Amino acid sequence: MSIRQLVFDFFALCGHRPIEVCPGVWQVKADDGLMQALDGWRAQGRLLQFSFQRDLAEAYGAELISPGSYRLNTILRLVQGQGLLSQAHIPHHLFHEPGIRKRVLAECAGTGRAYVLTSSAHFGQYLQLELSAQARGLQKKESLHTIVVNLSSGEVLKFAFPFHLLQAGSVPTEQIRRRKCSLKQAYLKAAAHVSELWSQDDQSWVEQALGKMAEEEKKLREFYQGRTSTAEFTAKLQELRGRLHPGLSIRALRGAILFTPLFRYRLVVVSASGRERVCTVMYDPIANLRELD
Amino acid sequence: MHPLFPQTTSAWPPKDTAAVLQEYCLGKLQVQIEAAGFGRIVKELRARRFDTWEWYQLARRADRLAAAQNQTQGLLALEHLRERWQETGVIPYEHQIRTAERVIHELHGQAILADEVGLGKTIEAGLILTEYMLRGLVKKVLILTPANLIWQWYYELYEKFGLAAGIQRTPWDWTYADVLIASLDTAKREPHASIVKSIVYDLLIIDEAHKLKNSSTASYRLVNSLQKKYCLMLTATPVQNELKELYNLIGLIKPGQLGSYQSFKRRFMADKRTPKNPRELRQLLDQVMIRNRREEGTVRFTERIVHPIIVALGPREQEIYLRVNEFIKSRGRRAGPSSMLPLITLQREVCSSFLAVALTLEKMMASLAEAELAEAAALLKDLAEVKQNSKCDALERLVAQFSDKAIIFTEYRASQEYIRYRLERAGYRTLAFDGSLSRGQKQWVRHLFQREAQFLVSTESGGEGLNFQFCNLVVNFDLPWNPMRLEQRIGRVHRLGQMRDVHIYNLITKDTVEEHIMYLLHKKINMFESIIGELDAILLHLNLGKSFESEIMKIFLEHEEREQIQAQLDGLAEKILSSRDEIRAASWEG
Repeated sequence: MSIRQLVFDFFALCGHRPIEVCPGVWQVKADDGLMQALDGWRAQGRLLQFSFQRDLAEAYGAELISPGSYRLNTILRLVQGQGLLSQAHIPHHLFHEPGIRKRVLAECAGTGRAYVLTSSAHFGQYLQLELSAQARGLQKKESLHTIVVNLSSGEVLKFAFPFHLLQAGSVPTEQIRRRKCSLKQAYLKAAAHVSELWSQDDQSWVEQALGKMAEEEKKLREFYQGRTSTAEFTAKLQELRGRLHPGLSIRALRGAILFTPLFRYRLVVVSASGRERVCTVMYDPIANLRELD
Repeated sequence: MHPLFPQTTSAWPPKDTAAVLQEYCLGKLQVQIEAAGFGRIVKELRARRFDTWEWYQLARRADRLAAAQNQTQGLLALEHLRERWQETGVIPYEHQIRTAERVIHELHGQAILADEVGLGKTIEAGLILTEYMLRGLVKKVLILTPANLIWQWYYELYEKFGLAAGIQRTPWDWTYADVLIASLDTAKREPHASIVKSIVYDLLIIDEAHKLKNSSTASYRLVNSLQKKYCLMLTATPVQNELKELYNLIGLIKPGQLGSYQSFKRRFMADKRTPKNPRELRQLLDQVMIRNRREEGTVRFTERIVHPIIVALGPREQEIYLRVNEFIKSRGRRAGPSSMLPLITLQREVCSSFLAVALTLEKMMASLAEAELAEAAALLKDLAEVKQNSKCDALERLVAQFSDKAIIFTEYRASQEYIRYRLERAGYRTLAFDGSLSRGQKQWVRHLFQREAQFLVSTESGGEGLNFQFCNLVVNFDLPWNPMRLEQRIGRVHRLGQMRDVHIYNLITKDTVEEHIMYLLHKKINMFESIIGELDAILLHLNLGKSFESEIMKIFLEHEEREQIQAQLDGLAEKILSSRDEIRAASWEG
């Protein structure tokens, strides 16, 4: 992941184009709004000169942008405050509809035959969640997870979502299929999935933290000997456990609604015995799911 | 608001609550699914506020970069603050970085920072605070300090760490501000105490924590009942008098660390002040306390260069001095030790200015007997007639050589006003700094001194709490008798951040008690050129019946000859130095 690319993308999205005033040193004319967003309400617009190399930054009096530097942190903080919720879609034309139709017909026909009465294009909904999982114990560990939940089935996607096919923006409302799973359910399922992943990892840190907590708790009980029923002891015990009990906190950082193509066919299925049956089939090419509507 | 960042104000810093949507156990692991972040997403969805896909993708990349940064073991704050520190001239010392790392990685944010005076405990606390904030572990912070240090904390945090903390003024501030500086005395009073107790703090910082040494005080009870995740307590003197004080302090940070008080007494106390099993005690203390000492080579301080300036009194002044001295001695012998205090004041003032003596004498006259009244009245009349002040003349000559700012210390308001009058008359710009100023006024005077005025004329009380590292010239117009007070004066300028050698000019009136005081403080215990450290503990250890000043006054009253007085002062100095050695030998610090 390139810091340089992130910084240039950031300025581009803000409508600025940094100019390389000498090799490795860049300048951008930041207006009041941008500087205030970066440095707080007291800041004023100015020529922001920056470099990604320490020696150049020092030589030219430019602001250094490198891991941990003040300027990078302000940019990261500002960017992280954006993009809380977004939406994107995968257009139908990226899939070969005749092929899908053929496949659906073949699967529905079985030993008989089937033909399409009507067909329509719809969009299904997926919820993409960026989750942060923070392990609390003697040491803090953090990992980020991108989880996608199918809002029709309520299932967490176990396979890779074709993010490369996504295009910005929404789709016509009338084409969107109603979701069957609530957002809260989807979030809980995604979080449960992350906690499962964590529980499969090395758990020695949990044991260590529990051992330390037991040791500290013993000292505390000795200190409050005969007074363990007091509110003060309860508060101190709670404070101790809050600090040392190994735990995993999962929180959502941001989310996106992803609209994916659904192909809906109204079919007439004629069995081998000649009996006709009308059914509606919805095909989701992302999950490769076919369901009777 | 920037049109490109419509959510900046509401989304950052996020006003998330720690509400938990679901909590369950997975084996021994406690899993909490937080509601706040998700709640914000749902809120956006309901309002149909969608960010562009490009911003969303960029934010995802930023999340990953920030998370990768947070995984580093070193201090993120050092890199974050590098440019700010270059601008403000802050140089982090090795011991400060080590301390911050230990507190975060080993002591889990619960520690007593007990560095000796002037080693930069505030920098250490600020570094820890910034680090925790950068790592997203701390948001709600309370800093409790003595009232006179509130503004100093504010400026330190703002200038050195870029943190604009709030200063508590109304009950509303407790809940509103994320980083709040407040006075401990205010916090312990109602209605504040109830509010403070109801808030869960991520980090609690207590400055001058030795004020919590007594577990029966309201301050102690308040701090003990605060809900906090991390806690830092700052004090240079975790033990001032008794080992129990240390026990009480540790009890606030980590109750049970030293066992029950009975077992602590049994295992670690030979008597009230002397520890036993110091090695074992130190091991336990190491888990909660960090103490850096000057002699460990932690910091290289600039030099203290002392310039004694002997001032000869004029004949009339000499005559008045002797008469005042005689008055003090005769009254001292008659009244006995019970009324020693006004006499000590007179004796000290007589070396400062006759104006100060006259004011004190006038006050004393209300309680004098008929026989003494006439003598005092005559003395007062003569004092009023003296127009000459040789010390101020010498001061004027001295400051004429200065090309830089200087702080002139005196103990008396009357002398302070007279000095200012003389210097202003000579065309200098001066400022007064004393205990009558409010906190804000003190800060303002400091600001004016730094930018405009050349001389700051300060009384003793004004010397506490504020730092003046931008100045390296100190003039002691009169000498305090207590070495602690002298150290406080010099400590205003000779501390961490002082880049130049400090010049100390002592104006000593010839053939007066001041010469003896100079002999004791400079020649015998070398107060000016070296830093004794732990002076307060040493003075307590001396176990003097009364104050240090009374002890000196007793010597002056009981002895007439110069040699006799010096022999007595030699004895006192010997006691101070041997006390220091004893304290160090028996110290729990090892």
